[in-house]
Amino acid sequence: MTTNELTLEFKNHLITYLNLLDISIDDIKDDEPLFGGDLGLDSIDSVELIVLLDREYGIKIKNPADGRQILVDVNTIVAYIEENRTK
Amino acid sequence: MYVIDQQAISAQKTHDLSFEKGEYSTYLTSTFPIVEPTYSEFIPLNLLRRMGKAVKMGIAAALPIINRNQQLDGIIVGTANGGLENCIDFLNQIVAYDEGVLTPTNFVQSTPNALAGQLALMTKNTGYNSTHVNGSLSFENALIDAKLFFEASTNITSLLVGSVEEISSYNYHIDLLAGRYKKEIISNDQLIQSNTEGSVCGEGASFFLLSNSPEHAIAEIVDTTQIIHPSTADLTTLMNVFFEKNQLSMDAIDLLLLGKNGDNRLDYWYDDFQQIFPETPAINFKQLTGDYRTISGFATYLGVQILTGKINGAHPAFNTDFPTNCNNILIYNHFDGIRHGFILIKKGTR
Repeated sequence: MTTNELTLEFKNHLITYLNLLDISIDDIKDDEPLFGGDLGLDSIDSVELIVLLDREYGIKIKNPADGRQILVDVNTIVAYIEENRTK
Repeated sequence: MYVIDQQAISAQKTHDLSFEKGEYSTYLTSTFPIVEPTYSEFIPLNLLRRMGKAVKMGIAAALPIINRNQQLDGIIVGTANGGLENCIDFLNQIVAYDEGVLTPTNFVQSTPNALAGQLALMTKNTGYNSTHVNGSLSFENALIDAKLFFEASTNITSLLVGSVEEISSYNYHIDLLAGRYKKEIISNDQLIQSNTEGSVCGEGASFFLLSNSPEHAIAEIVDTTQIIHPSTADLTTLMNVFFEKNQLSMDAIDLLLLGKNGDNRLDYWYDDFQQIFPETPAINFKQLTGDYRTISGFATYLGVQILTGKINGAHPAFNTDFPTNCNNILIYNHFDGIRHGFILIKKGTR
């Protein structure tokens, strides 16, 4: 899977897991901050993202400090998935 | 305690007042779902995306009342099942993911008190917040809580009280297996006279702004009582005590609102009950919404609409002759013939 394909797949999961209403893949920019940006995600969403990474890619984020480095934008998450996915 | 304002979401178009203007929705389905308002008009999208149906319909019923009446000292909700669909999703996740990492949203939304909590958060209300989960008497118990709270707290003047229930796939199929719903598809017009086993599953949310002052009241909720596993004779005794306590003659009741649901195994309760009030006209309400455990909230909404003259016997939903100028209405509803609830309402000063 190429990075572009993974990015598209992750955005689809993002919309499904967070039930983002009236938001399409095209509305989510790769370098837009997920938290504090237009998407308006909050702390509950960060937990949903951790669940997403665990279920879809077999990645477990156990250290909250790591989460702050990883869950920045789509680019940082996709890069982390490429390096750490177990499925 | 007095009703200042009310709002309902139901299988009828109560949310935009079309129902009280004479519109009547008919169904020929195995469930009678609510007519859903445009939730995004009430709820920010960022909150809406997390909400289950029970929370959404509860907020859509409650928020317009709060917007019209800023003074609010507390929120009390009665619900038998709360957001059951989310609850089942959450439990299924525990199994599917082998008790591993679980998403918080389904858990947060599945608790019965999610609605009362969400209402408090959205309106920044830090007052009393309580949810009663007592099966088919949940709404009656919410009313008792409100009544006690008004009596105990002199500085409390207004409370938001309501009920909510959603149709979930899980509870529908469990209740269907338990024989609570009809095997045949039946229209709501024919529900009460169907003379077969079971009823039709419904859902809804009804909310009321209650005050301890009669000023601006559209109605008064005089009292409520309940009994579990009674005999027919017990109902007679209970009514005698209830009316004596409220210093009211049974003759003063202008109209009975009865919870007949078309189940030929259970509707005899209402026929027997009517013998206590042989001269009093009676109408049914479950043909409007189907049956659900906190439907007495909708019955109260309907009763207040009748007391205020907004609905009368000429309405196509009833098309029957009942007094146009009612002063006292008694609501009687039971579930499975086990839990029986009664609510006495009276015309207000407005």
